[in-house]
Amino acid sequence: MKRLLSKTKIISAISVLLLLCLWKVASLIYNSDLILPSPESTILTTLKLLFSKNFLLVVGATMLRGILGFVISFILGILLGILAGTNRSFEAFLNPILVTIRSTPVISLILLALIWFKVDFVAIFIAFLTMFPFICTNVIDGIKNADRDLIEMAKVYKVNHTKIIKEVYLPAITPFIFSGASSAMGFGWRAIIIGEVLSQPQFGIGTLMQSAQTYLLVKEVIAWTIIAILISSVFELIIRKIEKAVIIWK
Amino acid sequence: MSFKIEGLNKSYDNIKLFDNFNIEIQENTITCILGPSGCGKTTLLNMISDTAQANEGSFINFEDKIISYIFQEPRLLPWKTVKENIAFVLNSDIPKEERLKIAEKYIQLVELNGFEDYFPSKLSGGMKQRVAIARAFSYPSDLILMDEPLKALDLKLKLNLMRAFRRLWQTDKRTVLFVTHDIDEALLLGNRIVVFSKAPVNIKQEFSIQKKERSLTDPEIIEYKNKIWEVMD
Repeated sequence: MKRLLSKTKIISAISVLLLLCLWKVASLIYNSDLILPSPESTILTTLKLLFSKNFLLVVGATMLRGILGFVISFILGILLGILAGTNRSFEAFLNPILVTIRSTPVISLILLALIWFKVDFVAIFIAFLTMFPFICTNVIDGIKNADRDLIEMAKVYKVNHTKIIKEVYLPAITPFIFSGASSAMGFGWRAIIIGEVLSQPQFGIGTLMQSAQTYLLVKEVIAWTIIAILISSVFELIIRKIEKAVIIWK
Repeated sequence: MSFKIEGLNKSYDNIKLFDNFNIEIQENTITCILGPSGCGKTTLLNMISDTAQANEGSFINFEDKIISYIFQEPRLLPWKTVKENIAFVLNSDIPKEERLKIAEKYIQLVELNGFEDYFPSKLSGGMKQRVAIARAFSYPSDLILMDEPLKALDLKLKLNLMRAFRRLWQTDKRTVLFVTHDIDEALLLGNRIVVFSKAPVNIKQEFSIQKKERSLTDPEIIEYKNKIWEVMD
């Protein structure tokens, strides 16, 4: 098993290397920093950005928006998901709303949010609208997949409703909450950055990406992209770690 | 004061399972219902435990009675340890520590000491069913329903568990209603064996076995077995 794991790791490393090679070759062909800078100069730019004086403020602002959006989505998603999962009428009520949010193009939401809200709130609003449906839908699915036999058992033993929700349903949906949270985060970060590009808050990765693009600083655009990917993977990693710590019974 | 079911009518999937059916379940004995698969044994238990509804019929003396149920499957919560699984069904008005203490007592009685803090995924099938039995006995019930809980286990484990069950039963002689299609199980557990026909059910014959120690090689038990064979289709 361990050998197999290291083998897949090697293959993944080869894939990354191949991607870098392609990038390098393409940059040699174009031979212009204005179109495609080389990987090494981009990485150097990334490092420079990491140590620039406003870096923490910029990244912190973007992360704060993401975390705020996530926390609101997480709490509302679980509450409404449980309600919809245990109550058919509420599900019938909630479902069209979820479908509408999910199928509305992110860009429409942003354009409207730009009109409706203050600049700093736009990205949070977008983050919420992209993340909430994922978490909510997963919770509903989790409840529907909860083991009917266990619920019947609890009812035969006259366990009260609140306790059944807390000790049977909630643990049963925990894995679903985590997979919902993880896809929510994946889509959320992308949406937040689009939101920042268009709303131009004072601090934010998107704001700086936009100005880098305006000045044709391709290196910086890619460098910020790399930083955004890193942030996203760090959060993914954190979610997986928490999942492992919470689901100890498997 | 025994439990009585009178004038029971119940159809399921257009099959008439019970048609004006009557049965009495005596207190403080193990009544074993022996019948072919699909005759409605499980449905009878479900009607008693209120998870299925009868079309007609009166359930006398069942009102306000507390019921434990040992299912075909262990039905343990995967996220709770052995101890917590048992404590889970106990009344929340009892302080948690007390509930865990009661759980520990019954874990000892089914000889699972040392496994109190294990999650079900770490237990074998037989051990899980022992936990389910401990859970049923720890619950202060007036009636224990059992639906072929030994079905999925091999013979040795089965014998082992039945011995554990009878030992546990001797401690408080609870009223038990046990359904099975396996004669050996009925002979090893039942004080009273009620043989059911195919659906719609009628009672073909009843046997009463008062022996305390049971063994399938005991000539008396073998004699019962032969008699029951004759009655069953």
